Amino acid sequence: MHKNDFREITPNCYEIPKSFRPDMRVPARFYADRKLLEGALGDKSLEQLVNTATLPGVVKYALAMPDIHQGYGFPIGGVIATELPDGVISPGGVGYDINCGVRLLATHLDRDEVEPYLSELASALQANCPSGVGQGGSVPLKRQELERLVEQGSKWALKNGYATPMDLERTEENGCLEGADASKVSDRAFKRGLSQIGTLGAGNHFIEVDVVDQLFDETAANRMGLFPGQIVVQIHCGSRGFGHQICTDYVRDFQQAVHKYGIHLPDRELVCAPLSSPEGQDYLAAMKAAANYAFVNRQVLTFHIRRAFEMVLAGKVSSHHLYQIYDIAHNMAKIEKHQVDGRELELCVHRKGATRAFGPGSEVLPGAFRDIGQPVLVPGSMGTASWVLVGTEGSMAQSFGSTCHGAGRTMSRRAAKKAVRGSDLIRKLEASGIHVRAGSMPGLAEEAPSAYKDVDRVIKVVHGAGIARKVARIVPVAVVKG
Amino acid sequence: MKKYETVDHTADWALRVYGTDLGDLLTNAALGMSSLMVEHLDDIPSQLTRHCEIEGHDAESLLVAWLSELAYFAEMEQLVYSRFALSQVSSQHLSAQLSGGRVTELQKHIKAVTYHDLEIAETAEGLQATVVFDV
Repeated sequence: MHKNDFREITPNCYEIPKSFRPDMRVPARFYADRKLLEGALGDKSLEQLVNTATLPGVVKYALAMPDIHQGYGFPIGGVIATELPDGVISPGGVGYDINCGVRLLATHLDRDEVEPYLSELASALQANCPSGVGQGGSVPLKRQELERLVEQGSKWALKNGYATPMDLERTEENGCLEGADASKVSDRAFKRGLSQIGTLGAGNHFIEVDVVDQLFDETAANRMGLFPGQIVVQIHCGSRGFGHQICTDYVRDFQQAVHKYGIHLPDRELVCAPLSSPEGQDYLAAMKAAANYAFVNRQVLTFHIRRAFEMVLAGKVSSHHLYQIYDIAHNMAKIEKHQVDGRELELCVHRKGATRAFGPGSEVLPGAFRDIGQPVLVPGSMGTASWVLVGTEGSMAQSFGSTCHGAGRTMSRRAAKKAVRGSDLIRKLEASGIHVRAGSMPGLAEEAPSAYKDVDRVIKVVHGAGIARKVARIVPVAVVKG
Repeated sequence: MKKYETVDHTADWALRVYGTDLGDLLTNAALGMSSLMVEHLDDIPSQLTRHCEIEGHDAESLLVAWLSELAYFAEMEQLVYSRFALSQVSSQHLSAQLSGGRVTELQKHIKAVTYHDLEIAETAEGLQATVVFDV
């Protein structure tokens, strides 16, 4: 694949025509500037994007966001929409960490007030929020209770004292995808899920204390309650072993389904089944259960984070209260209605490493955000900036209400591990005023900022393309890694 | 003959595995995966044994199912195996006697084994496959 295969649509969007490969059903579009385009040609991510344009029922374009990088099957940063009833749903198009996502909580405090306690706060967050492999959760559950939890999502958390009504109102889908069915989930998934509610896990997941660095849209920032110098908290994690097992089970089962439905694919990880088929419906119901698990997981972590703030800050600062700004998924398939070429279509929108970004006026948004658009949370790599954006009319018109989800890797984990030592990285981060608590040193090195793209550049593209709008840039002061 | 090697993949970890026949390839893939989870294979105690039977639709899905089983034991019980005696190997089935033990810390958490670009290919020396892990 060569950059000459791409046609420039705008300086922030490039297209690969349908004629590029005979099995493409629609063209593919990549939101990027020239440098990000050239960078993405370095791995298989754009070939993976073209592969997703071959899925039965795909409409308009297969899309990729500027934070694209190589995944397995779908690229990370990919968005495709398939038309109901016979378009397909692909477990690999959602990914293993179903409803991996980000939550943003805000304090009423500014940095100066919290500064003296940051180190203690980082330690308390690490102690309160179990992370790493094999770390049991803090919520002992029996199988039956877990079945209720995955069908009810955050409503379960509210009933059990882990959530506030405002938390639910400010979570995508109010923290519960209706139609989740525990009977479509394997025993093994339940076994893996039983001990992991309220745990961070390993890999790129984290809890981060940030400070609001700069505002770009005063109206939207005010509506969210954001102000310069403010202390906020990000949580990045997903459905843990429960979601991974559901994806593993259905990718295995769908190896047969593709033969049954006569679907030919360029990569076995792309296996899929029509949404109208029993296989497609079963996966959708199981995926929803994992999505609900992830919403509860981030909710229980929120509960622990609030406790850590109380333990460290109560009586020492004006208020240790943490309120929720938003919680958003970036690995999910959703049934949504979108306008395509003047017609309203019912679509299954797969977002694999991409965030929903609904524009102003959307009925699913809570009242406070309905006229500014949906908050979009884009974490950067460790030690670098993260962004708060809002969805726009442009994202509704161009990208099925979707935008980017992060910085996007540019260096392999193996290369990062060779290039960077975990202990050196900690020293460097601490020297720049960031408190770091990490479960594993080699794991930390794999997540080195130099292994990622420049998140500010990624944001410039989505803002420039009009598929999200900048609201605030936030920078880290304390990081807890799994 | 090389048994396995790690290869570059932007987001995750990948192993290229080799074998004289399918049983050998499956054994080397398991060894390779264990080598990602611990610093040195020799450090794995061999006090515990376990028997398992794995089914697949074809050789590739058997390979994924087999490694997924081992990843499951590692996640749930911190158990890593270093010796694998395989028998009755076909492209749809294997029986295995595993020997290994509990480790204090897993160096890498293998969360899932993918089918991405997975194909068991014949080479002049035998068989070869590249497996991508979700970590």
